[in-house]
Amino acid sequence: MTTADLGRLLAAIGAGERAALKQLYTATSAKLFGVILRILHERNEAEDVLQEVYITVWRKAAEFDASRASPITWMVTIARNRAIDRLRARGTRPTTTLDQAADVPEPAPSAEAMLAQSDDARRVAAALDRLDPRHAAVIRSAFYDGVTYEAIAERESVPVGTLKSWVRRGLIRMRSELAA
Amino acid sequence: MTPLPPDDDMTPDAALALDYALGALDGPALRAAELRLRRDPAFAADVARWQAELGPLADAVAPVAPPSAVWAAVERELFREAPRTDPAPAPGPVARTLALWRGLAFGASAVAAVALALLVVRPGATPPTRPPAPASSGPLLAASMATTDAAKAVVITATWDAARGAVILTPAAKAPSRGLTPELWVITGTDKPQSLGTIDLADPQAHVVSPQLRAKLTKGATLAISLEPAGGSPTGQPTGPVVATGTLTAL
Repeated sequence: MTTADLGRLLAAIGAGERAALKQLYTATSAKLFGVILRILHERNEAEDVLQEVYITVWRKAAEFDASRASPITWMVTIARNRAIDRLRARGTRPTTTLDQAADVPEPAPSAEAMLAQSDDARRVAAALDRLDPRHAAVIRSAFYDGVTYEAIAERESVPVGTLKSWVRRGLIRMRSELAA
Repeated sequence: MTPLPPDDDMTPDAALALDYALGALDGPALRAAELRLRRDPAFAADVARWQAELGPLADAVAPVAPPSAVWAAVERELFREAPRTDPAPAPGPVARTLALWRGLAFGASAVAAVALALLVVRPGATPPTRPPAPASSGPLLAASMATTDAAKAVVITATWDAARGAVILTPAAKAPSRGLTPELWVITGTDKPQSLGTIDLADPQAHVVSPQLRAKLTKGATLAISLEPAGGSPTGQPTGPVVATGTLTAL
């Protein structure tokens, strides 16, 4: 399903069309469930969050602004926010270390290249791969696993300020590469 | 906080927007960002810009097909039929659920084995996909979970099957929760309750427990069910009424 198709579905959902929500769910739920499960690991919790996400999509579809984000990014943002809220409410959880995040090829360049379903995704994945590995590892840990700066700092014995600086430099560099 | 190195020329606001969009904040910093998001359109626009740029990263996460129960739950939540009228004057949802639970015809003397037998003989019940496996690693532990009021009616039997890493939940009767979500908790010693996830009171089921929580399911541990908002407790601790408790004992 193309971005335009998803945009039309969101518009129909905003107008209260139930069938459009079912179509959107069929097209996007596996992707969002993957993102949520990666953050929460626990299936029952991830299923609850997925349910909340589509309820939120139904209620907020009319607010979707195509000039700000693509439909799938909008939905991924809702899914990540919900999953991270749940993770923060839960408190502690085991996390991988940055070394592991950097070493374990998940997402490895090849996996990213294989899984990336859009040109945008391939360009972003490639730009992330070109960063200082430590910077990329913090960005991955936070984005994919929902780990906080505090947790990474404690785990790696690196000050929070340093981590934030790595992320900023990394993302600013990514932004300038993508804009080029 | 450690000062930023000089080569980092972002304003504190721009940096906060980035940190929020990435999802790496917690505690006061997260709350401060959420407040700004609601009140400051320029900040919100900055956050949205980073979210749009980071969004494509999610494309590298492998899709996982969710179980069909999730869509069914979405539909139920959003499009459920108008609530049918109850013969009695309408009490609140919690009171209604409690009344249902109290009305169950089980005395305090009911033991786990009896309730377990219900798994087989209860008419109209859907059996779990697999019958409880024999205890191949460690003893089978079970808790008869009774209401917390004076009636102490057994409403559900929980059997911990270490071999499968699952709690087999056998409700004694269908107990619709009226929009509230039952959540199962385990309490060991003086520890805070630990959520085992939300459960369904309608049918017998094998509820898989995440590996890091399995060690908590030991003889003498208390299981409890609370009623929570849709999606489960928002705080990680029980927020609604505790409707049933029981202690795990060896069968």
